[in-house]
Amino acid sequence: MSFKGEWLDLSSQALRDVIGWEGEVTVRIEEGAVRKFAEAVGIPFGKRVPPTFLGALMQGGAEGLEAFQDGTVHGEQSITYHRPVEIGDCITCTRKVSDVYERTGKLGKMTLVVVDTKGLSADGKVVFESSSTVIHSAR
Amino acid sequence: MKHLSDYQVNDRIAEREWSPTYAQLRQYAEASGDLNPIHLDDAYARRAGLDGVIAHGMLTMAQAGAMLMEWMGGEGTLKSFAVRFERMVSVGERIKFSGYVKDKDSDGLACVLVATNDKGEKKLSGSAVLCFESDR
Repeated sequence: MSFKGEWLDLSSQALRDVIGWEGEVTVRIEEGAVRKFAEAVGIPFGKRVPPTFLGALMQGGAEGLEAFQDGTVHGEQSITYHRPVEIGDCITCTRKVSDVYERTGKLGKMTLVVVDTKGLSADGKVVFESSSTVIHSAR
Repeated sequence: MKHLSDYQVNDRIAEREWSPTYAQLRQYAEASGDLNPIHLDDAYARRAGLDGVIAHGMLTMAQAGAMLMEWMGGEGTLKSFAVRFERMVSVGERIKFSGYVKDKDSDGLACVLVATNDKGEKKLSGSAVLCFESDR
């Protein structure tokens, strides 16, 4: 299942229906990509993969989650590492919409979408877990 | 080489300063794959009700991560890292990242992090858990 099309056309009920949607993507931690990322952030490139590298990949190349990216603002992000990530690693990431809810704040009505990701190494061990909340304001 | 015993509760994390530029947002967009025009196109951002483009939340978080990694100096590992993006960051804003050690146990440190602009407005708040090998 993928969600393309105008975010604004999705009713609240339709949004709540996406809870439980899962998508999987395998990422290979390539030296060139890490180097480019480190340069863009303004940090030295070294042996260690920067701690937000994986989160950034998940946020940027959100296949199937395009509808959630347009017009949204990133609200929160967390990541827990079960082991350090290294260049050359191949990690299979499963992303799941774990919650969609509404909140009314100073900017008016907002819809929050929570996406949880779990990354497994080639031998099936958990490398990381992360959670991302994006906020869409009704116009 | 630093060990866990070198850190105490209330120790301050060495601050990091950052001011995003248009060029950096373009470079980061390509490096991360997040090409949302809200980070790249002022006209688009204005149509969305903003004054101009805003920095990617993940780029702001990367700066906080850089502060931690530099402070750790190559020792220890970042076990967990969580942030809330409190306010949008605009090109040219001067952001200061800081933090302190809130807790310490036999495995590592729990730190509190914050980022503010030069008006004192909070841009990011968060926490991190850093693990160190036991002292030899």
